[in-house]
Amino acid sequence: MLAFVLRRLAQSIFVMLAVSLIAFSLFRFVGDPIAQMVGQETSIEDQENIRERLGLNDPLTTQYVRFVSNLSQAEFGYSYRTRQPVSEMILSRLPATLELGAISLVISLIVGIPAGIYTALKRGFLSNALLVATLVGISIPTFVIGIFLIYLFGVSLGWLPTFGRGQTVALGWWQTNFLTVSGWKALILPGVTLGVYQLTLTMRLVRAEMQEVLKTDYIKFATARGINYRSLYLNHAFRNTLVPVVTIIGLQLGGIIAFSIVTESVFQWPGMGLLFLESIRYVDIPVMSVYLVLIALMFVVINLVVDLLYFAIDPRVRLRGSHD
Amino acid sequence: MTVIFRRSLSVGFAALWLTASGVTQAETFKWAGTTDPQTMDPHATNSAPVLGFLNNVYEGLVRRNKEMKIEPALAESWEQIGSDGWRFNLREGVTFHDGSAFTADDVLFSYERASSEDSDVRSWFAPVDSVAVVDDYTIDFLTKAPNPLFPDSIANFMIMDRDWTTSNEAARPSREAENFATRNTNGTGAFTVTSRDPGVKTTLQPFDGWWDTLESNITEAVFTPIGESATGMAALLSGEIDFISPIPLQDVPRMKERDGFTVHEGVEARVLMFGFAHQADSLKFSDDLTGENPFKDVRVRQAAYQAINVDALIDKVMRGSAQPASQLVSSAMKGYSEAKSERLAYDPDAAMQLMKDAGYEDGFSFGLQCPNDRYINDEAICKAAASMFAKVGLNAKLTAMPVRNYWPELREDNFDMYLLGWSPGTFDAEHPIRFLAHTPNSEKKLGSWNFGDYSNARVDELLPMIQTELDEDTRQAMIDETTELLQQEIAYIPMYVQPLIWASKDTIELTQRTDNFFILRWVTVN
Repeated sequence: MLAFVLRRLAQSIFVMLAVSLIAFSLFRFVGDPIAQMVGQETSIEDQENIRERLGLNDPLTTQYVRFVSNLSQAEFGYSYRTRQPVSEMILSRLPATLELGAISLVISLIVGIPAGIYTALKRGFLSNALLVATLVGISIPTFVIGIFLIYLFGVSLGWLPTFGRGQTVALGWWQTNFLTVSGWKALILPGVTLGVYQLTLTMRLVRAEMQEVLKTDYIKFATARGINYRSLYLNHAFRNTLVPVVTIIGLQLGGIIAFSIVTESVFQWPGMGLLFLESIRYVDIPVMSVYLVLIALMFVVINLVVDLLYFAIDPRVRLRGSHD
Repeated sequence: MTVIFRRSLSVGFAALWLTASGVTQAETFKWAGTTDPQTMDPHATNSAPVLGFLNNVYEGLVRRNKEMKIEPALAESWEQIGSDGWRFNLREGVTFHDGSAFTADDVLFSYERASSEDSDVRSWFAPVDSVAVVDDYTIDFLTKAPNPLFPDSIANFMIMDRDWTTSNEAARPSREAENFATRNTNGTGAFTVTSRDPGVKTTLQPFDGWWDTLESNITEAVFTPIGESATGMAALLSGEIDFISPIPLQDVPRMKERDGFTVHEGVEARVLMFGFAHQADSLKFSDDLTGENPFKDVRVRQAAYQAINVDALIDKVMRGSAQPASQLVSSAMKGYSEAKSERLAYDPDAAMQLMKDAGYEDGFSFGLQCPNDRYINDEAICKAAASMFAKVGLNAKLTAMPVRNYWPELREDNFDMYLLGWSPGTFDAEHPIRFLAHTPNSEKKLGSWNFGDYSNARVDELLPMIQTELDEDTRQAMIDETTELLQQEIAYIPMYVQPLIWASKDTIELTQRTDNFFILRWVTVN
């Protein structure tokens, strides 16, 4: 088990190196950072001087090696746009993204799983309505869902704020939404927007898995033995659907955090995704590169956690693992 | 108003301030723009979002009034000394936000800071030879040559306090890492920055020690950047913000119909134009021509000019809210050439005849480069122009790209024709001649945005004369001559002056200045 974890961590370093290398080779096509840093009256010579000082004239490999060596010493550099330390910028935006991600994951699970079980077991109007609704949810782009919710609940009804985080409370460096009413209200619309896709995915997956499991022999035997339905469905059937569901949810969590960019931009949610978007606009290479490496790290960690969860959920994996 | 009141977090604080000032009502003003100012350092970045924002916090020796005319600010008066310099008589009794007194030494310090190597505004001081403090409230700026425009050119040169800046280790702006002045301010202006969370929220309050009388009744102002225009519109419609700038052109009719909101329409200083590759030996993006560049022929440039129906562009693409332009500056700028204010008529037949005369009766294809996120509806303008060009045989192959890729592309000469918008920082006709019309000369730092290498010996000769001429009529005659040359040779195709479109609740009174600066001290909440 420990060997397994160590092996995975070693692999993860390669993943992150690869991601940062790919990112670095793409930055050349993002545009010219200097033109975004200076005003129109700054002379070409001054622009060249800045380029030279920032090391942008060095060959790509030199820049990459410098980046990796700085990273290994926990030096993340300074933003070209705001000149703040990158680490500080990302840290200050991290709580917003994580809290939003957590809320949308919770929404997708507490709605998605029961709805999945229900539609697997029951046919009828409600079941069909849910299935149609998920089709709609999966096919409308996040941006459109966000704007629709803003105009309905923010502009027409005036119940919820249309942008921003509302009032936050500082717990050390962590700014949280969870301790104020306005913070909770601000979370609802972006949380739902970000959660809709995951919700539909979770529901359809649970439904499909349940239907598979319900056809198996042991469920039939259990039914014949007269186990009550509640216990049959929840303990025997549902537990056996969990392995694929946990895998997908894990990957989703990564996706929610990494790809909350659209939702954050629609709601002007001051998280890492919005920061990344602003950084692209200004060709803020230090922020973009650190962000991408961080996202890669997060995926690696989540995958590791998912693998470890298999051990807990599925005894067969435990058995196989012990033979290794 | 009650909704905002309930939501406002700082009513308590505002009320506290009220008792001190004696105003009858606490007014929190919330506004949004698309871009957060990158820094609070007035010398670190020469960009409109930064200078516009900081105009509320810092002040210059002179400032611009609602009509963009220069008026006294930290200098009460100024006069020319000899032929090569300006003396500024400074205002007494002015204090910085931290309470320290403003003197000529702070001006000297700010000059040293703003003209230092890592300052992004140092080009303003290129004509300055030396600066001398005469006494605590008198300072001389000596220029290398007569410089009638100098006071106009330093309206955005903001004065910082020597002690505050040096004791916080921010004596020089920094290119690489931030310093204390990046997020903290200490100006003499009408508002102080009370909190700043970059990219999220910036809060300001009136400075009760300000030397001038405040026209505004706001007691607190909160700025939020909102990048997505649909989100910004929703925030205004839901009442969460009071003002937003800009709004998309296509939302204007809808906003005008809504009760409770006002659309503020004005003209910006920016002129939109097409430029040519004047010197290239061959077209870079042509399918049918090799080894020749028809745009070297003034007849072809004129054909392109007369092929464009500017009124239709303004009407259809800009939805009626732009003004046709005949020259590189708008009529609101100093030195605008009244004598040369006629545009060439839209005339496709004449254009086709010109193409025939030049030997391109069958037309030719060429590359038209265009940004897609820099100017209002920029890509749509290029598409519409391309279809107009096509009618006279100019087959434009349009490439649109984000501005971060656009400037490098133009610097690499990857274009046959390109779109450019120019807003003169000095609000004077000399500015575009210096940057767009003079032959590129990196040593003299001239013609740095003249991507197409337009070159005319007489224009080059006229520029220094315009820069140093003290007599207004003589100077105007020189500008008229330059304008005529640029028009005759079709150095550029000036098309229209870009509009400014802001929106607010109709309880807000404000002033829209052509430099697109949002000046808080002119905002009244009713």
